[in-house]
Amino acid sequence: MAITKEKVEELSEIARRIRRHIIEMTAEAGSGHPGGSLSCTDILVTLYFHVMKVDPKNPNWPERDRFVLSKGHAAPALYAVLAEKGYFPTEELKTLRKIDSMLQGHPDMKNTPGVDMTTGSLGQGLSSANGMAIAGKLDGKDYRVYVLLGDGELEEGQVWEAAMAAAHYKLDNLTAFVDHNGLQIDGPITQVMSPEIIQEKFRAFGWHVIDVDGHDFEEIAGAIEEAKNIKGRPTVIVAKTVKGKGVPYMENQVDWHGKAPSREQAEEALKSLI
Amino acid sequence: MSELKKSTRTSFAEALLEVGEKNSNVVVVAADSASRYGDFVKRFPERSFNVGIAEQTMVGVAAGLALSGKIPAVTSYANFLAFRAIEQVRVDVATANLNVKMIGTDTGFSSAWLGFTHLALEDVAAVRALPNIVIIDPADAMEAYSATKAMFDYIGPVYMRLRGRKDEPVIFTKEDKFEIGKGRVLVEGKDVLIVACGGALYDSLKAAEILRLKGIYATVVNMATVRPVDKKLLTELTSYLDKVVTVEHHNITGGLGSAVAEFLAEKGSGVKFLRMGVKDRFGTAGSEEMLKRHFGLDSGAIAETVENFIKEIS
Repeated sequence: MAITKEKVEELSEIARRIRRHIIEMTAEAGSGHPGGSLSCTDILVTLYFHVMKVDPKNPNWPERDRFVLSKGHAAPALYAVLAEKGYFPTEELKTLRKIDSMLQGHPDMKNTPGVDMTTGSLGQGLSSANGMAIAGKLDGKDYRVYVLLGDGELEEGQVWEAAMAAAHYKLDNLTAFVDHNGLQIDGPITQVMSPEIIQEKFRAFGWHVIDVDGHDFEEIAGAIEEAKNIKGRPTVIVAKTVKGKGVPYMENQVDWHGKAPSREQAEEALKSLI
Repeated sequence: MSELKKSTRTSFAEALLEVGEKNSNVVVVAADSASRYGDFVKRFPERSFNVGIAEQTMVGVAAGLALSGKIPAVTSYANFLAFRAIEQVRVDVATANLNVKMIGTDTGFSSAWLGFTHLALEDVAAVRALPNIVIIDPADAMEAYSATKAMFDYIGPVYMRLRGRKDEPVIFTKEDKFEIGKGRVLVEGKDVLIVACGGALYDSLKAAEILRLKGIYATVVNMATVRPVDKKLLTELTSYLDKVVTVEHHNITGGLGSAVAEFLAEKGSGVKFLRMGVKDRFGTAGSEEMLKRHFGLDSGAIAETVENFIKEIS
């Protein structure tokens, strides 16, 4: 479905709120991963507020589209999206990383309504997403499976096992995103252990590849639409993103991978997200 | 005991086919290990998947299938499942109690000449360290058959140990009942309690015969479910037996011996205790018989060890 100007404005507004939640949640928790949460926010917002067929009142609805956050450390972004979507009250977000909270440091499907797969150990999400997509085909259901990988995560070998299997089983009901923000804990991905050229690697594995600006709702939505029409193979959308997007002092700064802002830093960040 | 011989792998495949005929939600995922599923793959090709030599993805795919209401089986050499894919078993399957049936094959000494990489002597310890997973180590092909049926009747993650040699001795009949979590007394004796599972049961029974001729009477229990271990039965038996020996084709750390020891120690049972198994060593290449002798686990060695144990503490 083509995306209207009004819809883009609506998504931008939601994304702004999500980013504020991410800052507030991680500041409140005193730990967490703001950088990679902010970089994938616009992708998650497009999925949950424009594309995916889900029912927050019935999180386990068998016909729903599935989402696997393979880069599980971006949990704050997913939790904020699920809360805004109505799976649970936004007040819950304040409990991030608290003992007994439904919002653990990484997504846990047992605890959190709307979380389709437990993740947090990088490299595992594409395999389970494959299983969901295979089950959909087996049952003749038309739900779609979305999975978000980090670009650093592509260094994990299991990703490529799963990439091979997805193409082998012609999982055209599966769409993967790569949050290509270019940074991992130890520095730029190209310096630590380059997974480049990401597009060519996936192409060689038999995938349909689309490049987008990961902060452009029209491009993201357009690519998802294109993926729906690709038959016989899975699609990967390589989304060029900015780590820390929306908070100037965090943007493209590797330090903000896994560090929470202080109270003062959070206040400053929120001023950029008005 | 009969003279029959049959592979636990063959029995598993027979039971799987029957389970699959009855329940269309049963699916199998192989990692270049499809032959272990026997005729199921031919009978139900649409429900059979093979991810190639990629055990981690095999387990992940199975988790995804389980989340959509399927009842997937995964299988590989036990080490490649219980070690290579242990994190996928932990994060994808165990934590959410997913209904995935995990079958580690060629366990104990049954991979024989393949040597240490393939000899699965630590797999139970690895899996037992994770919450939620039921662990079954069937003693023979008949038990593997009934345990497979029970495993699919049970809702939740199960790890089953199989061997896979044509010359596995048969102890039970198909009519023998198997119940998850229930140990079974096979021989009664007043002097010592021998608790065994899997491939170690046969030689433990033979050892009990040898001991009987020497005037030592052993109670032999088949503890096919390593987790949950049958606490009720152990409590009953240790109320009048004060010497306990566990026997397993596994490292003495983390397997059946540990499970029984942990329970009896915490209970304050005060029994004299001996774990028999591989004593913190890695495996090596050899025939199954050679390896049992090498690690002191053939029937003669079990009988001798038990006899010495009783003498030393009496």
